[in-house]
Amino acid sequence: MKLERFSGDREQVGRKFAEVMVGLYGETPENAKPSPYSGGRKAGMEALAKFSVHGYANTRNKIHGNVSRLSFYIRHGVLGLREVAESVRNRFGRSYDAVKFWQELGWRQFWRLVYARLGDRIYEDLEPPKVNLGKDFPEELPEEIQAGKTGLVCMDECVRELTQTGYMHNHARMWFASFIIHFRKLGWKAGERFFYRHLLDGDPASNALSWQWVASTFSHRPYLFNKENIQENGGKKWCERCQAKCPFDATYPELEKRLFSL
Amino acid sequence: MVWLHGDSLSDQDPAALRYPGADRVFVFDRLFLKQAQLSFKRLFFLYECAAEAVQEIRLGEIVEELQEAIRQRGAERLAVTESVSPRWKEVVAELKKKIEVEVVPAAGMVDVPDGFEAKRFTPFWKKFGREWEG
Ligand SMILES: Cc1cc2nc3c(=O)[nH]c(=O)nc-3n(C[C@H](O)[C@H](O)[C@H](O)COP(=O)(O)OP(=O)(O)OC[C@H]3O[C@@H](n4cnc5c(N)ncnc54)[C@H](O)[C@@H]3O)c2cc1C
Repeated sequence: MKLERFSGDREQVGRKFAEVMVGLYGETPENAKPSPYSGGRKAGMEALAKFSVHGYANTRNKIHGNVSRLSFYIRHGVLGLREVAESVRNRFGRSYDAVKFWQELGWRQFWRLVYARLGDRIYEDLEPPKVNLGKDFPEELPEEIQAGKTGLVCMDECVRELTQTGYMHNHARMWFASFIIHFRKLGWKAGERFFYRHLLDGDPASNALSWQWVASTFSHRPYLFNKENIQENGGKKWCERCQAKCPFDATYPELEKRLFSL
Repeated sequence: MVWLHGDSLSDQDPAALRYPGADRVFVFDRLFLKQAQLSFKRLFFLYECAAEAVQEIRLGEIVEELQEAIRQRGAERLAVTESVSPRWKEVVAELKKKIEVEVVPAAGMVDVPDGFEAKRFTPFWKKFGREWEG
């Protein structure tokens, strides 16, 4: 059937679209709200024009660093990968920052090539894990994790950003995936599905393969983080508010011993 | 007619650029959405992209909806930009049984020959990323 073009402001259009699509999305219609990030080529071009690559290389790992937030436009082909790369070259030339940025764009094409070769096999372990990941994984993440109510402020805040905006910073994605897989021993598939449902840039290849990269089923070693890493890249605010006993407060050798010598 | 899908959802889509006079159509895949239960934010983002990019947005079973859109226009052929998704490949195989379909290559950031076995990023980028590494 043909879908009508809805008129009105963004919120009104959102409400009408939510009515027509009822049953076809995860939230209840009352909770169906547009993301703060707008779709469309016009919004994508504006975001691209605003993005300056200066400082990208040294700050991209910081939660408040200078990342582009172009992933949802790139994911859906609203902006071309080459188009984005060339825009940076034309405006800023070749620099340390630009080269790092191009490399990250390169990751996207790389994951896509793996997907082209393997198809739906990316949804199964591609290699044996390099450490003990546990077993009997759930189909879905526990409710308190999805709702951002674990009590671990750093994880909860990252999840809240995801479910409220549809975006999560790359480093937060890595922390959260590592938390799910290695600290909670929940496997990578339930987390992969959770991300796919919520990320505006949710992409079979980049998502499933990144989860496998953290797990070590598509990399040489598992990705781990600790409290120091969170504070260095996310700031100290989360920890200051946190009442929980911190599972991340340890050195890497200690974590490896605790998490992997089962 | 040009079919725009979720991997290539703008009027700068390669198939759309090849046939600038043709109508562009996007289809929300009802069965897939019912199972996937994506967040509304995601769906609405796609709607906004589509609203700008196409003449017609449809909801239903993809092959049927595209056939119907073609029939209504009296179009003879469908052009679409290539995707690597297995689901896309299935749909195109199904469409080809019924109508003439032209698949237009998608552009990447770097040119990689068919059959290249991507396994780890570093060797891939060393080999193909030279234009960007300098
Ligand atoms: C567990 C996990 C799941 C992920 N799932 C997705 C996903 O579903 N879709 C997705 O597009 N990215 C995914 N990523 C990769 C990365 O986190 C996002 O692409 C990035 O955070 C998007 O933000 P940005 O546009 O501000 O990035 P920037 O740092 O500004 O990067 C520019 C562009 O390069 C590409 N890019 C950057 N880093 C990566 C990467 N590691 N892998 C692939 N492409 C990259 C993106 O297209 C991005 O828009 C995932 C990473 C992890 C660790």
